[in-house]
Amino acid sequence: MAMAYNFHIIENCLKCSFREQRLFCDLPNDALSKLQNIKATSVYPKGAMLCLEGQPARGVFVLCTGRAKLTTTSAEGKSIILRIAEPGEVLGLTAVVSGSPYEATIETLEPSQANFISQADFVHFVQEHPDVGMKVAKQLTHNCKCAYGEIRAIGLSNSVPEKIAKLVLKWSENPLDFARKNPREIAIRVTLTQEEIAQFVGTSRETVSRVLGDFRKKGWLRIKGATWTILNKPALQSLVTT
Amino acid sequence: MSLENVETNELYAMLPPHVRQELEDHKQVMTAPRGTLLLDHGVLPDRLVILNKGSVQITVPCKRHSASVISRQAGKVFGMRAVMSGELPEIDVVCLEPCEITLLPREIFLALLKNYPEIYFAVAKVLSADLQIADCILRDHLRRGASAPRVRATRPV
Repeated sequence: MAMAYNFHIIENCLKCSFREQRLFCDLPNDALSKLQNIKATSVYPKGAMLCLEGQPARGVFVLCTGRAKLTTTSAEGKSIILRIAEPGEVLGLTAVVSGSPYEATIETLEPSQANFISQADFVHFVQEHPDVGMKVAKQLTHNCKCAYGEIRAIGLSNSVPEKIAKLVLKWSENPLDFARKNPREIAIRVTLTQEEIAQFVGTSRETVSRVLGDFRKKGWLRIKGATWTILNKPALQSLVTT
Repeated sequence: MSLENVETNELYAMLPPHVRQELEDHKQVMTAPRGTLLLDHGVLPDRLVILNKGSVQITVPCKRHSASVISRQAGKVFGMRAVMSGELPEIDVVCLEPCEITLLPREIFLALLKNYPEIYFAVAKVLSADLQIADCILRDHLRRGASAPRVRATRPV
């Protein structure tokens, strides 16, 4: 199996060991064989742009490994992160299904593998295989749910510290097990920059820096590069009022 | 709504004529007065609602800052996500003026989907449009961080 960066490249969808855990890829063998024939596998470094907001849709990207951020630009020219895509997600789906331009710029947050499927092939694939149509519907349902969850999370938060605390607590649901020395401490890997966190919660980088500095000073959080350690979870939870 | 103006309905536009005809047999067209709650968050709808004419407010209710957008899109389908997944809707849809709507019973639609699974692409189109609305609200909400005035719903459809 070929390697790129620090992961194995999954070249054959039929042999992918992750497919049963993935929202889109858990398909019957005939559909997977077809998928194998129409997809083009690519490996991208961190920071690669898969597509740009407003660009005519060319096709979808099935994210196999790595994570990517979906960013949009407000009328004032501010970047806003809509969501972080995880492995198994189909990116560019809305644009391809509705025949409209890409709604967001998609940029990899870490070295990633994505399988590209052209618009014509994907539409044909969905129409030919009801199982694929069902998966697409499930993926869109999931994306809608995430978007509404995000809206509610913002709507429920009054202050920036509360929004950042919420974000950190959400990330703590996937801790780095190997880094756990003290049971009270929770280590997480944060690949977003302070600028990106600001885009995620709708504030400025300076405010994020100030709030994180405050969390550190109070002994709630330790930040060493991309590894953050939550030292006082109850304190962060106390900021989250709803 | 008739079969002649199907291009204004985001669901019908993608369906083959025989499937549209089956839906036509079960549809109910009515005028909903201003303030009618077409979709109630937290209540599983027993029908798909298609907005034929008029304007509605789509709101994601939050305790502090609710987020809203106004839609005048003729042919917009509401309730697809809830009907498909069986999950409770996350939005309220309220008529801002008297609206002409079409109602399609949930069970009829799901039975049709079972018989004609090729219509999943039409479902995906409707869900894509829903996601575009959600992203639009999210974008606006992140930018403004404030709530829009909410229209009080007077009664369910």
